[in-house]
Amino acid sequence: MEEVSASARTPADFLKSIKGKPVVVKLNSGVDYRGILACLDGYMNIAMEQTEEYVNGQLKNKYGDAFIRGNNVLYISTVKN
Amino acid sequence: MADEDAATVKEPLDLIRLSLDERIYVKLRGDRELRGRLHAYDQHLNMILGEVEETITTVEIDDETYEEIIKTQKRMVPYLFVRGDGVILCAPPLRQ
Amino acid sequence: MLFYSYFKTLVGKEVTVELKNDLAITGTLHSVDQYLNVKLNNVKVVNEAKYPHMMSVRNCFIRGSVVRYVQLPPGSVDIEILHDATRREARG
Repeated sequence: MEEVSASARTPADFLKSIKGKPVVVKLNSGVDYRGILACLDGYMNIAMEQTEEYVNGQLKNKYGDAFIRGNNVLYISTVKN
Repeated sequence: MADEDAATVKEPLDLIRLSLDERIYVKLRGDRELRGRLHAYDQHLNMILGEVEETITTVEIDDETYEEIIKTQKRMVPYLFVRGDGVILCAPPLRQ
Repeated sequence: MLFYSYFKTLVGKEVTVELKNDLAITGTLHSVDQYLNVKLNNVKVVNEAKYPHMMSVRNCFIRGSVVRYVQLPPGSVDIEILHDATRREARG
């Protein structure tokens, strides 16, 4: 149980460990989505809550829930609070 | 499997399932946005939307001042099949 | 298979297919396959002035992957059937 959370060893472990945490999702287009990661699947489709959309660093939109199609995802990164 | 799972989000596509027959917002490649009622979808995010409003955003550069002029073009379509590969993001309608 | 099945019910109806290169073609749906490739008959390009080279085209095959939208004839969209089929498909 413990070893997965702090020192995740595989990408899959990392993804498992960040559910429910605040994340930044960067798309290939450069757009960033900041919010709480609700869940994801094998295609890297992502469900997020309290999502904010940033284009060129500027807040452009807010979504209560958002589904992001996995093929657009460049990376998922954890953030503080 | 059947009843208790119907209203929970265990995988991302559940979010879309819960939006069936609701108005949703879809962001597409090519600076296009759709708002419409979700009537059908599949795992590729192919969809059929009803009472659809499409917004196309374009940026033009003013010849003299070189300022960016952002223009939006809107149109209504009664029923639209949307191919999933163009989808970037789906969200239930803005509720703030 | 949901949309393949649905498009099969539209054979013989008039649809407008909008491609990713912005070309929009109206025509009678002749056939569709599992990739959602389609064949249209009696085609007419929506913006003929912009695409004059398409004037002589009567029928065409469109690869599914280049389609952005298909505008559907309102009379042939049975919402109840689509909902049921979607729920069945979502269950796997």
